Amino acid sequence: MSEVATNFTLEMDNECNLTLIDAAGVRHEKARPVRLFPLTDPSAWISIVNAQGQELACVKQIDTLPDALREMLLKALANRDFVPVIRSIKSVTRAPTGHAWTVVTDRGETIFQTESDESIQQLGGSRLVVIDARNTRYLIPDVNALDAKSRQRLERYY
Amino acid sequence: MANRSPKLSRLAPTERAQALISYADGKLVNSERVLARFQTDLNADLNFHQGMIVLTSQRLMHVESTKGGAVQMKAWPIAEIDDLVLEEFGATATIHLMQGSASSYQWRTTGGRVREADTLLSKFKAQRKVVLSITPFDPPTKLDESEVDGAEKEVVLPPRQAMVRLWKFVKPWRKQMAIATLLTLASTGASMIWPGLTMPLVDKVLIPLHEGKPNVNPHLVYYYIAALAGAAILAWALNWAKTYILARVSERVASQLRRQTFNHIQELSLTYFNKKRTGDLISRISSDTDEICYFISVNLIGFADDVLMIVFTAAILFTIDPIMAICALAPLPIVAWLVQRVRELLRGGFAAGSRAWSQMTSVLADTIPGVRVVKAFAQERREVERFRAADQQVVDANDRVNKTWSFFEPMIVLLSDTGLLVVWGIGAWSVAHHQITVGILTGFIAYIGRFYGRLDSMSRMLAAVQRAAASAHRVFDVLDVKPDMPNTMSTKHIGRLQGEIEFRDVKFRYGARQIMRGVSLKIAPGEMIGLVGPSGAGKTTLVNLACRFFEVSEGAILVDGIDLRELNVEDYRKNLGLVLQEPYLFYGTILENIAYGKQDATRAEVIAAARAARAHEFIMRLQDGYDSMVGERGQQLSGGERQRISIARALLINPAILILDEATSSVDTETEREIQAALENLITGRTTIAIAHRLGTLRRANRLVVMDDGRISEIGSHEELLKSSGTYSRLHQAMMEVTNG
Repeated sequence: MSEVATNFTLEMDNECNLTLIDAAGVRHEKARPVRLFPLTDPSAWISIVNAQGQELACVKQIDTLPDALREMLLKALANRDFVPVIRSIKSVTRAPTGHAWTVVTDRGETIFQTESDESIQQLGGSRLVVIDARNTRYLIPDVNALDAKSRQRLERYY
Repeated sequence: MANRSPKLSRLAPTERAQALISYADGKLVNSERVLARFQTDLNADLNFHQGMIVLTSQRLMHVESTKGGAVQMKAWPIAEIDDLVLEEFGATATIHLMQGSASSYQWRTTGGRVREADTLLSKFKAQRKVVLSITPFDPPTKLDESEVDGAEKEVVLPPRQAMVRLWKFVKPWRKQMAIATLLTLASTGASMIWPGLTMPLVDKVLIPLHEGKPNVNPHLVYYYIAALAGAAILAWALNWAKTYILARVSERVASQLRRQTFNHIQELSLTYFNKKRTGDLISRISSDTDEICYFISVNLIGFADDVLMIVFTAAILFTIDPIMAICALAPLPIVAWLVQRVRELLRGGFAAGSRAWSQMTSVLADTIPGVRVVKAFAQERREVERFRAADQQVVDANDRVNKTWSFFEPMIVLLSDTGLLVVWGIGAWSVAHHQITVGILTGFIAYIGRFYGRLDSMSRMLAAVQRAAASAHRVFDVLDVKPDMPNTMSTKHIGRLQGEIEFRDVKFRYGARQIMRGVSLKIAPGEMIGLVGPSGAGKTTLVNLACRFFEVSEGAILVDGIDLRELNVEDYRKNLGLVLQEPYLFYGTILENIAYGKQDATRAEVIAAARAARAHEFIMRLQDGYDSMVGERGQQLSGGERQRISIARALLINPAILILDEATSSVDTETEREIQAALENLITGRTTIAIAHRLGTLRRANRLVVMDDGRISEIGSHEELLKSSGTYSRLHQAMMEVTNG
C-alpha cells in the first residue's frame, strides 16, 4: 500500500485533461480518476491512474482533499462516471426483448430497455443497480425509499 | 462357550444386529466398557452371515448366531492377542486374529466395510497399548467413547415413520395447529347446519305452501333463508381464518425443513458431496420440501376434518332414519377396501416420481454448468436426448400413478352415486307410503351428498399423503446422514497457529482403494514445500487430508504438535489459505468475493489484499471497479484474473498455512508470471504446501517432496534431486523435452 502516494497535486486544462504532479515533482499527463466503488460508495476510494492504467495515487476520502483539488477531481469524474439515481419508476412494460422502463432520475426523466432478470442486481441490502441494454447503470440506493407505486412496479420484475 | 438366546433367524438384519449387540452388552463384566463394534457379514464360506466383533476395554468378543438360531460368543482377553491384521481382497476382506505369528482366528467381511474395520483395528491397537502399559491414563480413550456413542446411534436408530418425524417440525406451531383444527371443526359444523335447515324449510313451509294450506307463516321463509345465509357466512369466515393460519404454519415448517437440511449438508464432509449428485440434493431441498408444505397447508387438518365429518354425518343419518342410513352406507366397505389397495400402489408410484424428478434435476445441474463442453463437442442433441429420457421417466412414473388414480377417483364417484340411487329409491318408496316426509328425504339426500363428497376428498387426499410421505422420506434421508467428521467431540479451540505440520505415517483409504500408504513428513513453520509427482500419486489427497476435508484412516496429522482431530475444524480452517487450480468465484461483487473468508474486512484491507495479489489494476479497469458482479452470471474474467482474486481472498485472511493446489497450471506463462509475483507476497512468512506440475513454479520451495503411489519417494532441493536421478529427474527431463521440443 505504501507504494501509492497520497501526496500530490493536480492540474486541469481547458479540455478537462488532468495532470498529476507527484511528490517527487514528476508530471503525469492524461491522468484520470477512477472510482473503486462507483455503486456502493462513490464518494470514497478514488484512485488516479496514468494513461497506461497504472495507479498513481489513491484518495480514501474525497472530503479530506483541499477544495481546489477536490473540485478538479469531481469535475473529471463527472465526465467518466454516469450513474443516474432512480427516484421513481413510471412504468415497466414487456418489450420484444426484455423490459422497457420509464423512470425519473436525479438527471431527469428517461426511458431505457433491459434485457433480462439479470439486468437487476442486488448490491447488498436494499441497494439495486439496473443495467440497461446499452450498459448504462442506474442506481437505486434504497428500494424501500421508493414510493409505493414504484416499488410495486419493480417488484413484478425483481 | 455357546449360550442360550432368542431365535435370531427370524429377525430382520437390523434387528438381528441389535440383538447381537444387546447380547454382547449383557456379557460385559464390571467396569468393562465397549470401545468399538464391527459388524462382520460373511462366514468362512463367504455366505452372508451376521456377526459382531465387540472391542471392550478388556476383551475382544465375537458374537454370531449358530445354525440352530442360538447366539454363540467367543472372547479373547486383549493381552492375549498380539495383533489384528486386515487382509484385503477387493470385494472381500479378512481380519486375522494373530497370536504369536500365526493367525488363530479369521473373520470375513465384504469390501465395503474395510474402513470401519480400519477403525476397529486402530482402536484395538490403542487399547492394547493401554492394557499392556501400567499407566491407565490415556487421553485417546476418552475420544473413543464419544465415537462409540455416535456409532451406536447409527445402529440403534429405529426406522421411524417419515410422517411421524414430520411432527417434530410441526410441533413448534402446535398452538396454531390447534387453533386451525378448532376453526376447521367449527366451519365444518357451520356447514352441517345447511341440510338440517332445509328439512324444516321443505316440510313446514314449501310443501304446505305448495298444497295451498292457509295457516303458513310466510315470514318463516325469510327466517330460514337468513339462517342459511348466516351459516354460509360463518363457514366462510372460519374457513378463511383456518386457511390463513395453515398456510402460514406450513410455509414455516417447510422453511425450517429446508434450512435444517441445508445446514446439515454444510456439515457433511467432502466425501459425501463426491458421492451425491448436485441435482438430487437440490431437488430434495427444494421440491420435496415444497410437497410437504403443500401437504400441511391443504391436507393435514383436512384429513382429520373429513374423518370427523364422515362420522358425524353417519351419526346424523342414523338418527334420521337407521334403515335408509344402512342402505346408503352400503358401498362404504368397498371404498375402504379400494383405498387400502390403492394406497400401496400410490406410495411406490410417488416415490418413483420423486426419484425421476431428481434424476431430471441432475441432468439439468450437469448440463447447464457444462454447456461449454457440450457445445465444444457438438453434443447438444445427445444432451437433448438425455433430458428427454430423464423427462420421460418423470412422465412414465406419473403415468403409473395416474393410471391408478384415474380409475380410483371415478370409482369412488360411482360408488357414492350408487349409494345415492339406493337412497332415492328407498326414499321415494317411503315417501309414497308416508313413512317419511319429503323434507326428511331432501335433508337425507343433502347429508348423504356431503358424506360422499367428503369421502371423495378423503380419497383424493390419500394421494397427497402418500406423496408427502415419499418426499418426507427423501428429506429425512439427507438429515439422517451422520457427519463422518464429528466436530463435537473434545475439540480444542485455537487462535493463530505457528504453522508446523507433521504427517505421522498417514494412511488413507477411499472406499476400498488405498490412496495414502504411509506418509511421514515434518514441515517447519514458514517452510515452503513443493509437492511433485505423477498424476494419481496422492498429492491432492495429502493436501485434502491436511485441510481435514478427509479424515486419515491411520496415522495422524499434527499441527503445532496437536492432533488435527482434536482441533476445532472451524478454528483450524481460519488458519488455512487455499488457492485451487480452478478458482471458484461466488455470484456477487469482487469486494464480496475477496472478503469471503473475512466478512468484516474493511475496504482498505480488501484493497490492500488486491494490491498484493496484483489484482488491483485490472479491477480498476472494470467499469464497476470493486462493485463489479462476478461469478456465475457476472463479469467475464480471465482465468488469471479469477486466480488473482482468489489469491487476494486467501491473502486477506492472513493464514498461517497456505495450500496451493496447481494454482498456476491453468494459465499462460505471462499470466503465470503475474500470479507468481502475487504468490510471492502470499508465501512470505507462511507454511506453504504447493502442488505444481510446472516445476519452475516451485523455485522458492525450501524442499521438494516427490510422491509416487501414495508414498514419498524423494525429498530434497531441486539440485539434490536432479543429481539423485530418481522420479524427480525423470519428471524434470520430461518437462524439459515438452518445453523445448
